Amino acid sequence: MRQPYYIQPSGSTMTCAGTQVVTQKEISTVDSNNVAYWLIDMRIWTEGWELLCEIRRNLSPAIYLKPVVFLIDSDEIPVEIIKASEGNITRSSCDVRILEEWASRVEPINQWIEHLPNVRVGSDSNIAFKVLRIITSRNAELEPITTVRRNSGYVYPLLEPLFGKRDTGVLETLSFLESQHLINGRFISRAHFCGHCGSAFLNFKEACPQCNADDIDSDELVHHFKCAYTAEISDFRKGDHLVCPKCERELKHIGVDYDKPSIVYHCNQCSYTFQDPKIMTSCYNCGRDSEPEHQQVKTIHAYSVTAIGQNAADYGLEALFTNILDAELNLFSEQAFQDFFHVETARIARYKLSTSSLVMIRFHDLDKLYIKLGAKAREVFYELSMIFKTVLRQSDVITARNETIFFVIMTETSAEHATRAVERLQGGVQALFESNLDFKPEMSVKIEGMHAELDIDATLESFLKDDH
Amino acid sequence: MIIEDVIEFVAGLSTGQILAYFWPFFLLDMTRYLFLDFIVIIRYVPKRIFEHGRYMRARRQLYRERPLVSVIVPGKNEGKHIPRLAESLKHQTYKNIELVVVDDGSDDDTATICRELEKQGKIQCFIRNEVRGGKASAANTAFRYSKGKYVVHIDADSHLALDAVETILLPFYKDSNIGAVGGDVRVANTGKSLATQLQAIEYFKSISTGRTISSELGILRIIAGAHGAFRRDVLERLYGWDVGPGLDGDITLKIRKLGFRVVHEPMAICYTNVPETFRRLAKQRFRWDRSMVRFRVRKHRDILLPSAGFNFANFIASAENIFFNLVLDAKWWIYFVQIVVFNPSVLEYIFIINYLLYFMANVLEFVVACVLLHASLRLKDYALALFLPLVPLYTGMYLRTVRTYAYIMEFMHGASYLDKWNPWKVSRVVKKEKL
Repeated sequence: MRQPYYIQPSGSTMTCAGTQVVTQKEISTVDSNNVAYWLIDMRIWTEGWELLCEIRRNLSPAIYLKPVVFLIDSDEIPVEIIKASEGNITRSSCDVRILEEWASRVEPINQWIEHLPNVRVGSDSNIAFKVLRIITSRNAELEPITTVRRNSGYVYPLLEPLFGKRDTGVLETLSFLESQHLINGRFISRAHFCGHCGSAFLNFKEACPQCNADDIDSDELVHHFKCAYTAEISDFRKGDHLVCPKCERELKHIGVDYDKPSIVYHCNQCSYTFQDPKIMTSCYNCGRDSEPEHQQVKTIHAYSVTAIGQNAADYGLEALFTNILDAELNLFSEQAFQDFFHVETARIARYKLSTSSLVMIRFHDLDKLYIKLGAKAREVFYELSMIFKTVLRQSDVITARNETIFFVIMTETSAEHATRAVERLQGGVQALFESNLDFKPEMSVKIEGMHAELDIDATLESFLKDDH
Repeated sequence: MIIEDVIEFVAGLSTGQILAYFWPFFLLDMTRYLFLDFIVIIRYVPKRIFEHGRYMRARRQLYRERPLVSVIVPGKNEGKHIPRLAESLKHQTYKNIELVVVDDGSDDDTATICRELEKQGKIQCFIRNEVRGGKASAANTAFRYSKGKYVVHIDADSHLALDAVETILLPFYKDSNIGAVGGDVRVANTGKSLATQLQAIEYFKSISTGRTISSELGILRIIAGAHGAFRRDVLERLYGWDVGPGLDGDITLKIRKLGFRVVHEPMAICYTNVPETFRRLAKQRFRWDRSMVRFRVRKHRDILLPSAGFNFANFIASAENIFFNLVLDAKWWIYFVQIVVFNPSVLEYIFIINYLLYFMANVLEFVVACVLLHASLRLKDYALALFLPLVPLYTGMYLRTVRTYAYIMEFMHGASYLDKWNPWKVSRVVKKEKL
């Protein structure tokens, strides 16, 4: 039976009944298999937060993945700090029963940690991988919350201690994991960020379209039906009443003897009159003013792990197909591939002597394959990459859009020859899976002869559309 | 054969019989229109030449002062016309102009067009009233946000000759007692249909020549909404326009009542689009003619009555209009009955001779208009002469029928209060208030 471990705040000798007590320095010496969760004292919450960061930034999965529960006295602790742990226990209600209840509540996390290979001796230095493991171990959707304490306006509390104050790094890391199909995003909101400093704290204000000043006033127009006099409501005000300056009649009922056809703005700086004020944003962080269209608009997602992500969390990112292919075939980056593509199409157009082909390959249901293969994924993908290596030549250029879509430029190869090569590739892949596993992955392929007008993005789009 | 009969019929008539058979022409129309036309030839045209120096001095004074002139354009669903209008303002000889456009609750893309022109700096102020308030309220909105010393009101479907703004301002610098100047209105879409050709001739007669004469006699009673210039201080004293239809004639009379002169400037030219079918033209005239009853006979009845503020010129301006248009409208029906009842045997001769008389009168009036406006006429304007034979039918029968119907409907039913030209909420109030 695992037990809660109370981490003594530095310089104190406090203990907590029903827990094992360790100092901060002793954390790495504890047998993690006995730890149900780390209990952090939040009497001084800033110190408790630093301790949590210390744990999460540890490289050992046996330590940083362990659940953390806060022992709290008050509800003054910011919500994004509170939510960075698995939960909290108020000091007044803390007893053995509650501590045990929490131990059983976080047990699934501990079991997941235990099933990891080399958990005690491993060291996770890749931040993206740590994030992936944290999300996978909690087996729940990672939801952002809004906050005024971070420039980004949104935080993922569970991930915050991993990154410290480099909060933009959180979004970038999640975006990378999503691009690799390791996690899936669910739309939460769309938010504006300062195009210069990335701050979410923008003041949207109405401004004069002529001089950009925000020193503007607005007034309603009033139309008196009887005499057609139309002017701003301030012209009609006489004490508490509205009286028409033209015919001196009192305006009584809107819609019966008068109405308000529109609103007019005045600029107090340049005296311009207008109805369509310009919308400007002003960043609270860097103070820059700009139009909303010049600010960044980002989509905020909640994330959950995909099947590929679960496999990668178990066995490491190096078990991913792209990583294996990269090691064996030396995958080009997307940018380098694009550059080569342009050079090659220009060369073909210039000399008109040779033909090259662009091949697009897409694996379907690769996530199912990950689930099926489990720890064997690395070996199978190694075999798969060998098939690629056999079929492709050294002069071919290959890149991966993500874990399932690959582009190959087959230089000095006609579409006909490229088709033959791809058939060999398909045959090899089929043979590999049929002979070793009861699984038949589906592959889609498209081959295009390369020419000056070929647009790589449009081609990909049409390929995905046709494939869909 | 019939021509010989007509000649024989005329040859056999005594002077008394001529007057008895053709009294409307010889006693009324020839005097009212043809003789007065010659005032233009013998008085106005030479005066214009002799006053060249005064015009030049007025022009120098205008450019020395260089006041801001606000061109205000109220309208509904007129967006498609605004770019051309804005362009014609950009090329005006007089440059210190602001364009103020008010969109009176359009349900087309007027707002989009105007906002774009505003961004390009071709419109200086654009106000969109989400709820339609009618022409007067839109004009007053435009006036409220205009800043110019002079305010030029034009219709959206019009565009100005290059020197129109400069020319319409000159009378203000010739006579400080002038409160408003009417600009000349010509037909822009002349070649579109027979209806527009006939209206082009009619505009030459009734606006270019007719209003020049009225102005010369000091009895000008209307400054067209399509093209009129006003002193800002005068409009401020009046708090802008009152509810229409006929708001242009109404404000002209109000300016006259304040003691200011109103004049017509035939060389300040605005080209406007007129109805292209006789059906649409009838609707337009039905609205215009009813306003004569509503404003001159009802609202401004005080001009006709002896009172402390009685002014003879104002009396003539209104009385002449009521007499020749309203009272004498009945003469045609009396004349018609007279001929049909008492002289049915010579009906066709009388018709043919009347037609010829009015045709000749129209030819002479057209010649007068050509003499007056020759500097600004284009070849296609002279070509309108080909349509002169049809004008007696157009004015004598078509327009007269519409006018008579309009008068009857207004007198009997107050039809102008039901006009969709004003929103119902406005019509309801002005009818209740008997305005």
